[in-house]
Amino acid sequence: MENQASAKHWLKWFDPRNRSVSTWAFILNRVTGLGLTLYLFLHLMMLGQLAKGPEAYNGFIALVKNPIFTFGEVLVVTAGIIHGLNGIRVGLAGVGIGARYQRSMFYILFLLAVILSIYFAAKMLLGA
Amino acid sequence: MSVKWNVTFRISRQKSGVEREFQDFVLEVDPNEYVLDGVERVWAFHDRSLNYRHACHHSTCGACGMRVNGVEKLTCITPIHSVTRNGGTITVEPLRNFPVISDLVVDMSRFYLAIDEAKFFPVAPVNKADLPYEAHAEGQDDCERLVDCIECGICISACPIALTTPAYIGPAPLAAAQHAYNELEDASILELMDDVNAAWRCHHAFECSAVCPSNVEPGWRIMDLRKRIMRHKIQNLLTSGK
Amino acid sequence: MDASIGNVSRPRSGEGFWLWIVKILAGGLILFLLGLHFVANHLVAPEGLMSYKDVLAYYQNPIIPIIEILFLVTVLAHALLGFRGIILDLNPPAQLLKLLDWIFIFAGVASSAYGIWLVMVVVARGTG
Repeated sequence: MENQASAKHWLKWFDPRNRSVSTWAFILNRVTGLGLTLYLFLHLMMLGQLAKGPEAYNGFIALVKNPIFTFGEVLVVTAGIIHGLNGIRVGLAGVGIGARYQRSMFYILFLLAVILSIYFAAKMLLGA
Repeated sequence: MSVKWNVTFRISRQKSGVEREFQDFVLEVDPNEYVLDGVERVWAFHDRSLNYRHACHHSTCGACGMRVNGVEKLTCITPIHSVTRNGGTITVEPLRNFPVISDLVVDMSRFYLAIDEAKFFPVAPVNKADLPYEAHAEGQDDCERLVDCIECGICISACPIALTTPAYIGPAPLAAAQHAYNELEDASILELMDDVNAAWRCHHAFECSAVCPSNVEPGWRIMDLRKRIMRHKIQNLLTSGK
Repeated sequence: MDASIGNVSRPRSGEGFWLWIVKILAGGLILFLLGLHFVANHLVAPEGLMSYKDVLAYYQNPIIPIIEILFLVTVLAHALLGFRGIILDLNPPAQLLKLLDWIFIFAGVASSAYGIWLVMVVVARGTG
């Protein structure tokens, strides 16, 4: 029956409607974690170009100077910052430190994450 | 002289063997009345086949938990004006993550079993209070108070892990275990909750704390329980290693 | 078989205390190593490692391969444990979970081995 606990409701994890900001934090952590895991494996494959020698690697570097890749890198850095700072909150609260104030911790850390993300995005998109 | 609103109650109807559907009932209500009053009036004057749970009507029994406009609420203390406006619609659905028996009534038996297993204690001595609002006045040290959890199941409905994992025992039983351990200091409670489907299953979404109508703060209690379980485990490790 | 709610004591594999604490501690270590990785690769390294010969020269400093390998293993552990946690929430049957666990272990070990091999190749090329 539709109302019962079931794995087929998994998409609803990512549906923030009618939920509080704490669920936003949960969704952000999951989405950024999945994105970063994907990036991890892509990055490992990309580094394989090093083993193929100077032409392969330098050619690859020339390829990623393309703005699309830079934009992708900005997304990765943003995801990393959000996941890392939110993770501090999860790690501390998860062992009972500051769990009563987890919502305030989230607001502060997310604000910090936004500031850092904007800074690095600007640096990467404009500085290059 | 009281204000009257026209509100549509869109109620989830589901009888066994029939597909779930929504039925609309237009009521004239006083906006200061509660959602539960509206549901009751639908049953009394519009459709006697509507099934719903209610008892005390003052947030003590935990029977009337439902989803109102998609958010879990204790309907006896949810004023109509807080969820809609004149001419608006209130969508009423049963709690999530429990099998529906009929219309707005869900099967809570597994939940009651789990909370029993956590040795849920309905009273707690005041001198073992955790949270600031549980604080007491001078000379009341030997008093007891009713524990806040009213076993309404609203936290389980809101939990994203309970959404997909029937094996997860849920926030309320874990919070009950924290309370029980506070009271009884019985290590077997910690050992029971030190389980892949218990204390370590929570993913700290804290939605339970957000929707709890009774100040239990289950999310915090789960983390506090984890702290105690860890301490217990490490102590065991050190003493058995000696 | 489902471990029903009223029966928590029935053993069922998942993520207990030890795996969870490894995930959290790995997360914490990542924050530290990520800081090092970032500072080293983007602030200290010449021109940010944008050419093959810069990478080779950079890896001659013995501390670099050590940090990078440690970083890789920690990130793999955290990412795979995190991903496994999400899979667990989908309530897989016990047989499937056992298979997935082997896949996770294989992915972690294989990726670590690949990364270590790559680092050694780069170090060797730099000295050669």
